[in-house]
Amino acid sequence: MMAKISLCVSSQTPLVRFNLSYGDLIKKYGRLSLPINLTNLAEGDDYEFNAGGVTRMVFPLLKRMLDTGILKSPQWVSLNSIGPETITTSGITFHHVQLEKERVKGYGLAKESIWQALHGIQKEGNLSPLLWQDEFIDYTYYNRSCSELALQLDKENDFDLFYIHDFQQLPMAHMMHAIKPKIFRWHIPFDESLVPDLWRHSLASYFNSYDVVIASCRRYLESLKRFGYKGKSSHIYPYIDQDTYKKPSQSEVGEFSHKFGIGEDDRVVLMVARLDPMKGQDRAIRGFAKIKKNFTDVKLVVAGNGSFSSSKRGIGLSKAERWLGKLRELVKALGVEDSVIFTGHLTHKELQAAYERCELTVLPSVLEGFGLVVVESWLYKKPAVVSLTAGVAELVKHEENGLLFNPDDSDDLANKFSTLLTNQNLASALGENGFITSRRCFLERGMKAEAKVMQDLVGY
Amino acid sequence: MIPYDVMIKIVIFAVIVATTAVLAKILGLLIKGMFKTWVPAVRTHVQRVVSVSIWVVGLIFAIEQLGLRTDLFLLILGLLGVGALLALRDTLENIGAKYFSDVYIPFKVGDMIKVGNSSGKVIEINPVTTVLLTDDKRLVSVPNSVFVREKVVNMTPHVWKEILVPITVNGDVDLPEFESEVLKACHRMRRYLDDRFPPILTVKGRGKQHVDLVLTLMVKEPSKKNEIISSVNQKISEIEDKIKREK
Repeated sequence: MMAKISLCVSSQTPLVRFNLSYGDLIKKYGRLSLPINLTNLAEGDDYEFNAGGVTRMVFPLLKRMLDTGILKSPQWVSLNSIGPETITTSGITFHHVQLEKERVKGYGLAKESIWQALHGIQKEGNLSPLLWQDEFIDYTYYNRSCSELALQLDKENDFDLFYIHDFQQLPMAHMMHAIKPKIFRWHIPFDESLVPDLWRHSLASYFNSYDVVIASCRRYLESLKRFGYKGKSSHIYPYIDQDTYKKPSQSEVGEFSHKFGIGEDDRVVLMVARLDPMKGQDRAIRGFAKIKKNFTDVKLVVAGNGSFSSSKRGIGLSKAERWLGKLRELVKALGVEDSVIFTGHLTHKELQAAYERCELTVLPSVLEGFGLVVVESWLYKKPAVVSLTAGVAELVKHEENGLLFNPDDSDDLANKFSTLLTNQNLASALGENGFITSRRCFLERGMKAEAKVMQDLVGY
Repeated sequence: MIPYDVMIKIVIFAVIVATTAVLAKILGLLIKGMFKTWVPAVRTHVQRVVSVSIWVVGLIFAIEQLGLRTDLFLLILGLLGVGALLALRDTLENIGAKYFSDVYIPFKVGDMIKVGNSSGKVIEINPVTTVLLTDDKRLVSVPNSVFVREKVVNMTPHVWKEILVPITVNGDVDLPEFESEVLKACHRMRRYLDDRFPPILTVKGRGKQHVDLVLTLMVKEPSKKNEIISSVNQKISEIEDKIKREK
């Protein structure tokens, strides 16, 4: 029998964001010893699960690895300035790095600039000043705090390995200066041609501080090797726990439609993404506006709100609100106000109803690390129109399990919408084939691949 | 019952030892305060040499007060010293060179260097030798004394701009806070530093009592290196004092 792995995970985004501080929780419940068990708190009132990969992918992965005996009592370090220092749920203990408001703000701004640079939307000339601003010191402070906390936990838990997630935490392995194996998962797109010259040396040195780097698709991995990463690497497609996506009842679908003003005879095109210019909501709206005259009964449902970074209880960057304002202006300018519905955040039940209710989905991202929403859409056998630049495009065979389009060409998108809204047989075939492809992103498959990387590294 | 005169001698011995300890401590602090701008490693070594010297003199004086002969003790100590010097001449030469290379020779683990007929990447610097990994994946061990005698060429890109400042802090220091303060201090010297390379603080070792760090700075003009090093060392000393006071 294989020995269980003692694992420390670190991600910037925590599993849950709190509506109440630790002090407020104590006032509400009386004595609450740390770590607080989430089951003793009320979801919705006291806390909410964060949207995105942490909740959909990493948390289910750890739970399944615990259930199957691969891991023992994982510890998870993340940023969470509001709420208790430690919580626990499903056998996992979460340790929160708590920073002052000003530090969080500075960290968020620096991180945003780094993100923009890695997506090619920050000019090289603006990057040099960033490195000398107080915000960059806050960014370093955050990473150092996570590294120190992880090392402190190592003294108590004697970890077999560390698993660090996403670009903003890349410096951690270099900072830790620990011999124990470290895995890094790169979630956003990686294109070595977009990395500013200024950062090449330090970025390569940060990457090379890890024993293994995992990327979300093959092309990012190849780019990473060209960039100068010399260690072991692996590509593992992101995954979801397919069992948590149920077929909603007729009444649940009815409630969803009623809540967002979708008529019985309306045909629905669905887009699910956080509100961010990089997600390309504007491109979906422009493509949609071009077919509106020919398909008067179609509505575009834009689901999603800001991420943890945009949330006031998260990092507090307000880019989601600003982007929503611009999208509303665009909808007005294109004369499609009555046909575009912004739902904001959807609960999991509402999301299931949205997939069930729609006829097709669209992922119009300018750049996209992967795009698990396409896999979600496939689970409901709905055809997806996918941006060529998204990571998930690697799994899409044009006209076999989806349609690919150029996100910079709204005519191309409009044609793809028209094709699927007109050709029911094609739409149905793409949905069916997409459902088969979705198996490549099932949790079980992802877990086996992740476990192999971990076990190879620790040697058991 | 201990005779009265013996009691007096023991008390005098104890007083001299205590005075020696206080004197060693005061001089240590004075050196630290007076030479803030020195490289911390050199300052620490000077403190140690002064402290050991005071203790040797103090102990000899104290032992004499007990009525014991110290000339034989000094003779044995001297002979042991000469014997050790002769027996370990090569090793001591290398260790001494290591000390000087730490402070004055500009290369570190990871750099590409050329010394004598050997060249390669430095993968280890131990007290006696420096180990190079050559391009054809062979290990070359170069005695440290060679680095004092021979010309050393560091071929690492941008290395001529690099300043490495070793820092040792107590194990219980709030490292994120300390790092923030150091970076802020370095940012104030930005006009002397290369804009493309921000200062970086790296952990080099962790013990129970101390954390060894290295601050890497890239200067615009190498001719200003000494002034920058002095200024940075002074700032670090002030930050350490500030953190101690706040504790």
